Amino acid sequence: MKTKIALLILFISGNLFAQEQKMTAAEIASFKEDVNVVSKKIKTLSTDFVQYKHLDFLSKDIETSGKMFFKEPSLLSWQYKKPYNYSIVFKNGKILINDEGKKSAVDIGNSKIFARINKLIVGSVSGNMFDDKEFTISYFKLKGQNLAKFVPKDATLKKYIKQIELTFDKEEATVVQVKLLESSEDYTRIVLKNKVINAKIDDSVFTN
Amino acid sequence: MQKSTIQFLLINCFLAIVLVSCGSVTKNYTPKKLDKTSYQSRYFSDSKTDYVYKTNITVYGNELSGIFIAKKINDTIHRVVFTTEFGNKLLDFEISEKSFKVNSIVSELDRKILINTLKEDFRLLLKKEYLIQEQFENESDNIYKSADGKRDNYLFLSKKDQKFEKLIHASATKEKITLTFSSENNIFAERIQIVHQNIKLKIELNYFKQE
Repeated sequence: MKTKIALLILFISGNLFAQEQKMTAAEIASFKEDVNVVSKKIKTLSTDFVQYKHLDFLSKDIETSGKMFFKEPSLLSWQYKKPYNYSIVFKNGKILINDEGKKSAVDIGNSKIFARINKLIVGSVSGNMFDDKEFTISYFKLKGQNLAKFVPKDATLKKYIKQIELTFDKEEATVVQVKLLESSEDYTRIVLKNKVINAKIDDSVFTN
Repeated sequence: MQKSTIQFLLINCFLAIVLVSCGSVTKNYTPKKLDKTSYQSRYFSDSKTDYVYKTNITVYGNELSGIFIAKKINDTIHRVVFTTEFGNKLLDFEISEKSFKVNSIVSELDRKILINTLKEDFRLLLKKEYLIQEQFENESDNIYKSADGKRDNYLFLSKKDQKFEKLIHASATKEKITLTFSSENNIFAERIQIVHQNIKLKIELNYFKQE
C-alpha cells in the first residue's frame, strides 16, 4: 500500500514536472538565443488569432477572432473579424481605430502607458522581449513548447497587467500563445496560428 | 405703454415656456384602468446566461467602445464588467437594487460623477421587479407607472405582442433617462439603447453571438 502511494506521489509530481519545468541557466541562454535569431529575421508577420477572454464568473470564455499583421519596425494591425468588425492600427505614435466603419484616432505620442503597451504587443508577437528591463522574467519548459513569464516591475503597469505569459513553439522558436493576466482569476488568452513570416504585406493594411 | 406691452409679452412667453417644460411626463398618454399591479422584466434575469454586448458609448461627443458583460451572480446581485476589445478590464461592479460595490476601475474612469451615472443606468437596465401604481396608454403601447424613490419609471409594453420595449426614468416633470429594448422573444434583448436627456450621454449595447 505504502509503495503504491509513494508511486502515485512520484507519478503525480513527475507529471507536474512534465507540465511546467523550470529551465536551467544554460537552457535559458540557448532558448533566448534561438528566439533572438528568429525574431531578428522577422521583417513582416501575419497570423490568424483567436482571443479568449476569461472572466471567472462567466460560464464561457468570450471568443473573438481575426487577423494580425506586423511590419518592421513597429507597424501593427489587429483586425477582429468575428463576431464583429473592429480593427486597431498602431502607427507613428498613433492608434487608429475602425469600429464597424466608424473611424477614430488617438494620439499616443505623449502617453507613456500606451507607448509601453505598444512596445509590449510588438514584443509579444515577435517574441523579443527578453532584454526588457521593465519585467522580471522566468523561464519554463513544456512538452514541445517553451514558456516565458513576465512580471512588470512598474507599479502603474502592474495595475493593468499582473503577468504576461508567452508560449513558444520549441522547433520554430516563435510565439504561439500570449496570455495577459489581470488577476489570478481573469485573463486574456490569444492563440496565434497560420503564421506567415516575411511575406509581402501591403501598406494599406496599416491605414485603417 | 409699448414698453409694458413688450414686458407683458416677455413674461407671457416665459410663463408659457415654464408651463410647457413643467408639463407632466404623462400629458400625451391617456389614463387607463390598471390591468396589473406588478411586472417582471426577464431581460437580465437568468443566472445561467452570460450577457455579452459590443458597446458604444458617446459622451459629450467623445466615443468609447468595448465589451459590456453582465451576469446574475445571486438572487439580487449582478456582476457588471466593461472591457476594451482587447480584453482589458476598464470597470468591474457588483450591483443590486440596494447595494453597490466597485471591484475595480481604471484611474481614467475613476470619477465619482461617472460612477454614479453608470450605477443609476445599470440599475435601471438590470431591474427585474416593478410595482405598478398607475396605467396609461398611447396608440401602440400600454404604459405602466412604477415609483422608483423620488422618481418614476414608465414601462412601455407593446399592445401588439406585450413586449417590454421602453423604459422612461423621469421626475414629476421631466424625462431623465430613456432605455429602449429590441428583443425577438421578450426574454433576451439583442439591442439596447440608454439615452440621457439632461447630459449628453448615450450607451448602445449590441449582443454578439459567439460561435
